[in-house]
Parts: sequence; structure tokens; C-alpha cells
Amino acid sequence: MTVTSIDVFDPAVYAAGNPNTYGLPLDAYEFIRDEKPCYLHEFHDPALIDRAWVISRNEDIWRVDRDSELYAADRGYVNAWKVTPIDPTMGGMPAMLTMDGAKHKEQRGVMAKGFTPAFVRELEEKFRGYAATVVDRALEKGTINFVQEIGHAMPMEALGDVLGVPHEDRPKFFGWVDTFAAPFDTRITPSFDNVMVAIGELLVYAGDLAELKRKHPGDDVLSRIVAAADVISEDEILGNVALLASGAAESTRTALSHGMHSLLRNPDQMAWLRERASDIPNTAIQEIVRIASPFTHLVRTATATHELHGQTIEEGDIVLMLFTAGNFDPRVFDDPRGFDLAREKNPHVSFGRGPHQCLGKHVATLEMKILLEELLQRTRSIEQAGEVSYIRDNYSRGVFELPITITAA
Amino acid sequence: MKIEVDVGACEMHGDCVMEAPEVFDLQDDSDVVTVLNDTPPEELRAKVESAARMCPVSAILVKD
Repeated sequence: MTVTSIDVFDPAVYAAGNPNTYGLPLDAYEFIRDEKPCYLHEFHDPALIDRAWVISRNEDIWRVDRDSELYAADRGYVNAWKVTPIDPTMGGMPAMLTMDGAKHKEQRGVMAKGFTPAFVRELEEKFRGYAATVVDRALEKGTINFVQEIGHAMPMEALGDVLGVPHEDRPKFFGWVDTFAAPFDTRITPSFDNVMVAIGELLVYAGDLAELKRKHPGDDVLSRIVAAADVISEDEILGNVALLASGAAESTRTALSHGMHSLLRNPDQMAWLRERASDIPNTAIQEIVRIASPFTHLVRTATATHELHGQTIEEGDIVLMLFTAGNFDPRVFDDPRGFDLAREKNPHVSFGRGPHQCLGKHVATLEMKILLEELLQRTRSIEQAGEVSYIRDNYSRGVFELPITITAA
Repeated sequence: MKIEVDVGACEMHGDCVMEAPEVFDLQDDSDVVTVLNDTPPEELRAKVESAARMCPVSAILVKD
């Protein structure tokens, strides 16, 4: 297959991703960035939107993401999927990510207080406790699938705390997200009916949880949401819970898994990180987030007809930010295909860069830092014990399996 | 160097706090960023300019 014929939205391309290029079709991305930086992609799949303008250069993604007047989030669709739990135009519940302007600011304001850097720092000790438990269990087993035993276990507990999901409910809560976040992978989601059932069950549970938080409020994000009844309606509670669940655990698991795989492939970088395992620098975490690009894209809707790279985007057209392509753009990154944990200039777009950027980014980076510190300080070696394999999807960049063997220090 | 913040735009993303904690803070009793020092010393210029650049809603303006 030549780069010009690769469909960068074909789930099979990601399922068969090349482990030497982070599982991504980097040559095809390069072709798109260089030759057609704004092109109309036709999807030809009943589960996906019909077409979208694909934006792939890093600077263009920054610009689109920041200009919410020209590129609106509140006119339907979140990504290339036709159905998501938070798109009211397709039967979902309204959430921050499908709002703009004053309404977005008002709702984000309520939730942002549960995610500020200072608030997140107070969770550090608790996160260290979770990391220790996760590493204990992994060391007992010796050989594990990193994705499940470490990548999944840590964020589930950490995000469960931040959001306020009771311990016993966390596996099912994040399990529903896994089901609707992998609609093309039959190993996880046998049929599209499972997607609809998982979305329905999550929304029902969100309602029950809201009720619980009204009766027994805690110092968590869900309690803040239900306490803000003047600005967040009942439907918006459900939508925002679904959004927070979707953004929470899976993305961090994905970042940790791609990060671990890249460390295994680059022993010099693993050694560099081990030397700094008592206080992992932020550059390392940001580089892992860059190469992982946990979600390949998000979409917006043009609010006015305008030109971009010689193309005419009409009002109402969908504009797609291909984050995975923007994260490997040589226009802004030195040696973009290299894995460099000391990278200083790193304008990656994995969290987004505009008003809708990841609410949990401070939590996610802290979780990753603490988990890697614990893991590296308590192990003598980490070896890959089998082939890496990826989720079959064009949106979620999940790793399906990463077998490793770890030896205690 | 003089810092002006558009509090109508601020959404408490916290990027400025990560870039320049000497100058910006998010406090629990406020719905917008708190500027700890709106005329910071020159040695903080790089950090402040980075904070302004990273702000997702472009709410920070650095004058001279």
C-alpha cells in the first residue's frame, strides 16, 4: 500500500499499526500534512459521519481549536462517530464538550475547581498509595499485560477518587466506557447493540450516582456538579458524567501503555528515566502524551463560510482536527519521530489547546508521573515479553496487549 | 512588564499556574485566575510570556 492510498480513518490501519511508528501511519500523515493540509474526507461507513475537512498541521490545529467562534462545538458531533453519549443532536445528553461560549464557561467553571493544579497536588499521597498497590500486584505476578494490570488499574482508582465514583462501582463504570469507546473492535464490543446498551447503562447509573451525591456530598467533582443545580440541569448532569467518564481512565491507560512500549523500544530513554525516577521531569510526561495521542481527533462545525489552504469550507461543514498528525509535524517538532523525554519545545495537541482542552490534564500528568516513579524505583528491570497489539479503532488509540516481565529491585 | 487578564475569558484551565506559579494562582474561593503580582520582575518574563502563549482562551496580555 502506498502512502497516498492509506485511509487514515480506517480502523484496520490502526489495528495493524506498526510498533516502530507508535502504531500510527506516520508516512500517510506526512503526505496529508504536506500535500493536502485541508482536504475533504469521505467516510463511507454507516457508523461514521458522511464527510469532514481534515486539518493535520500542528499550527492549524492550534488555530482551529482556539477559535470557537468560527469552529463551534455546539452544533452536533464530537468525533467522526455518528453516535456519542454527549451529543444532543443525536439523542445524547448535553455536556461541556458540546457547548460553547458563556454556557460552556459556566459549566466548566463548576468542574474546573475539582481539577486545579493545587487541588490535584493534594491527591498526590493518595495516588502514591494506589501506585504502590498496583506495582505490588504486578511484582507478585511477574509477567503481566501492562495495559490491564498497570495501565488500567491506576487511572481507574485515581479518577474514581477525583470524580467520586464508589470503589465497588469503578470496574463497571469504566467498563461501560471501554465498550462504547471501541465500537469497531469485536474483541471488546461484539456488536453495535453493545454500544447503545453501554451508553444507556452509564446514563442510568449517572442518574443514580447524582442522587447519591445529593444525599451524601463529598469533596469530589460529582458533588460539585449536583450542587450547582442553578447552572447544570438534570440532563446536563448525565451528559457531563458520561463525558468525564469517557475522558478519564481510558486515555491515561492508553498514554501509559504507549509510553511503556516506547521506553522498552528505547533502552537509552528507559535508562535516562531510571536515573530520574525519584522526580520524573514534566518533559518526560509531555513526550509520552505526545507520542501516545490517546484520541486521534475531534471535530467542530464551521459557523461561517471561509477559505483554508485554498479550500472553501462552507458554513455547517464539519472540520476535523487530526491530533495524531499534528503531533508529528516537523514544522514545529525537531526530529518528530524520535522519542525524546528531554524534549523542551513540545507544542503537542494531545490535550487540545483551546477552551475545550482536557479538563483532567493536571490529574493525568500527576498520575503518570507517580506511577512511573513507583514502577521504576521498585523494579530492577522491565522487559517486553511478547508482541504489542492495538485496539481496532480510528478514534481511541488504545493498546490491546503489551506483555511485560518485571523484576523487583 | 505589566500583566492584564481578561477575567471574562478565563475558564480556570490552570496552564498559567503551571507555567508561572510565582505570578498566577487559582484559588478555591474565586471563579477566575488570581494574579499574585501584575508587575512581576524582569527575570520572570520568559515564564509569563509562556503562560500567556499557553492560555487556551488567550486571556493573558503582557504589556511591554
